Amino acid sequence: MSAEPALQTSAVIRAEDLWRTYVMGSEEIHALRGVSFEIQPNEYVAIMGPSGSGKSTLMNLIGCLDTPSRGRYFLRGREVSSMNDDELAEIRNREIGFVFQTFNLLPRASALQNVELPLVYAGISREARIAQAKKALELVDLAPRMTHRPNELSGGQRQRVAIARALVMGPSILLADEPTGNLDTVTGSEIMGLFGKLHGGGNTIILVTHERDVAEHAHRIIHIRDGTIESDERR
Amino acid sequence: MPFSEAVRLAVASLRANKLRSFLTVLGILIGVSSVIAVVAIINGLDRYIADRVLELGTKSFSVQKLPDIITSASQWIEMQKRKDVTLQDLEAVRRGCSLCSEVGAMVATTRDAKFGRTVQRDVRVMGVTENYSRIGSVRDLIAGRHLIHDDVANARNVVVIGADLMDAFFGMTEPLGRALSVDSREYKVVGVAERKGSVFGESQDNFVWMPITLYRKYYGSRRSITIQAEARSMDTFQEAQDQARVIMRVRRHLEYVDADDFNIETGESVLEFWKSATQGIYAATLLVTAISLVVGGVVVMNIMLVSVTERTSEIGVRKALGAKRQDIRRQFVVESVILSIFGGGLGVLGATLFAKGLGAVLGNIMSADFVAPVRLWAVLLALAVSSLVGLVAGLYPANRAAALDPIAALRQE
Repeated sequence: MSAEPALQTSAVIRAEDLWRTYVMGSEEIHALRGVSFEIQPNEYVAIMGPSGSGKSTLMNLIGCLDTPSRGRYFLRGREVSSMNDDELAEIRNREIGFVFQTFNLLPRASALQNVELPLVYAGISREARIAQAKKALELVDLAPRMTHRPNELSGGQRQRVAIARALVMGPSILLADEPTGNLDTVTGSEIMGLFGKLHGGGNTIILVTHERDVAEHAHRIIHIRDGTIESDERR
Repeated sequence: MPFSEAVRLAVASLRANKLRSFLTVLGILIGVSSVIAVVAIINGLDRYIADRVLELGTKSFSVQKLPDIITSASQWIEMQKRKDVTLQDLEAVRRGCSLCSEVGAMVATTRDAKFGRTVQRDVRVMGVTENYSRIGSVRDLIAGRHLIHDDVANARNVVVIGADLMDAFFGMTEPLGRALSVDSREYKVVGVAERKGSVFGESQDNFVWMPITLYRKYYGSRRSITIQAEARSMDTFQEAQDQARVIMRVRRHLEYVDADDFNIETGESVLEFWKSATQGIYAATLLVTAISLVVGGVVVMNIMLVSVTERTSEIGVRKALGAKRQDIRRQFVVESVILSIFGGGLGVLGATLFAKGLGAVLGNIMSADFVAPVRLWAVLLALAVSSLVGLVAGLYPANRAAALDPIAALRQE
């Protein structure tokens, strides 16, 4: 993986004509058909679409969990679409902060240990890990609970731990997949409020959702349907 | 993921599922503990037997018709065809074996002995030459006198009794001069031998010595005798045996190519037999252990596969957060190795306790100090082999885990 960006651009994300095709037996299924867009630093974007629209496929590409069948994808100027497994893993570790609908915390580890996880895979020493993880937990107002396990935390608290974990490596983007899907309305608002605060702090936030009221927190909504971008509205 | 992290993770995982971990490594535990216990016990027996053999004397040998150890029925039938060893053979060896300091003979049977109304069962009734007590394992007297040349020459009705008969018949009363009977014939007690204790649970003190000539008078002269000889020194031990061998071969007109039709036995032969027996035991144990370890390894592999399946979404999350295939593989291999070492460690512990316990029990039975040592090298080897089993068993599940597609894995609950 070269240190020099392949592309001179200020954009955090640049997608050029992304296609993602699955072969099912003798049929080809195109989940994405030529999607192109750019996202600048500190943007707050929501990707909206019904189920089957391809928004999950697009999210996987943005999050470097997958590579496109056709087209190119640049993250901070580096072409991700041609990277191998190990390189993608490193990119995910350093540049992507995932937040999942089901939180996906390790049930047997404390909040602190959960937040430390990306740092472990980055090879950071124990003392530095603990310090950085604590800071991330402070950012989401959960420092006093850092020794608690997920089953000792409420849904909202768990999601906040997940957000701290997503932030701990100082990633280029926060990628949240239905972050309030498993939370009640009140807690959901709290979490969306947290996202707003993080956006104010300079983070680039990408929400993937099918709910209008969640998408409306963002400053830009990309509608996707049947594998293509239907609209791209700024608010 | 650095090794220390992987180890920490593996230990936490093990502690979270103690019962399951224990059941998983049972195969390894049994394999390890059986080999360590067997090695320890055999080592203890080695020492025990060597000590007993030492007592038999290190420069005595016997010339006898049959070998001490017969290992097959056909061998036994062959042996019956041999010529008896006779008193004439004894005389020839006595005259001809210049490297022997003593040459005597013994012939024996097992009978009940009686004194008054007391019966002592299964007494070894031995017809001996007067120098018998001086050959090999020397046995002194605690009362009276040994048999003398005159007793043998005149076939006198005198006996020296072992300590068990002393206890059974005479207790605190004076044994010398009293008469006991064997097979309705009376014998006068002239001496009481010192106690030697028991070997392998067999008492060494349940005997009577009578002159060999008397024995043959009453029990027939058709029995083969056993010539017992003592070499002058350790250095000439082998040569002394060879002298006796030559004398016997000449008497039996054996050609150069003929095999001996008699046996010369030493304490060595007991040791050698023991060694070959233990080789067999070692081999069998290794086989059992190998099978246990293979089975144990398969069990570990299966449980690891189940574990990988259970933790599919966890693996997906780790990959999403930046774990490379290498990291995931390492995590599961280390877990498998730690699990197996845990089993091996328990096996070592179990074997040590068992060997100590068995040592105490056997020590009681054999009325001797019995120690079954568990050696450090055995422990280290056991742990190393357990790790190897864990490594091999864990590779396939670990590779499966590493190869998981993160997107698919994340979709699992």
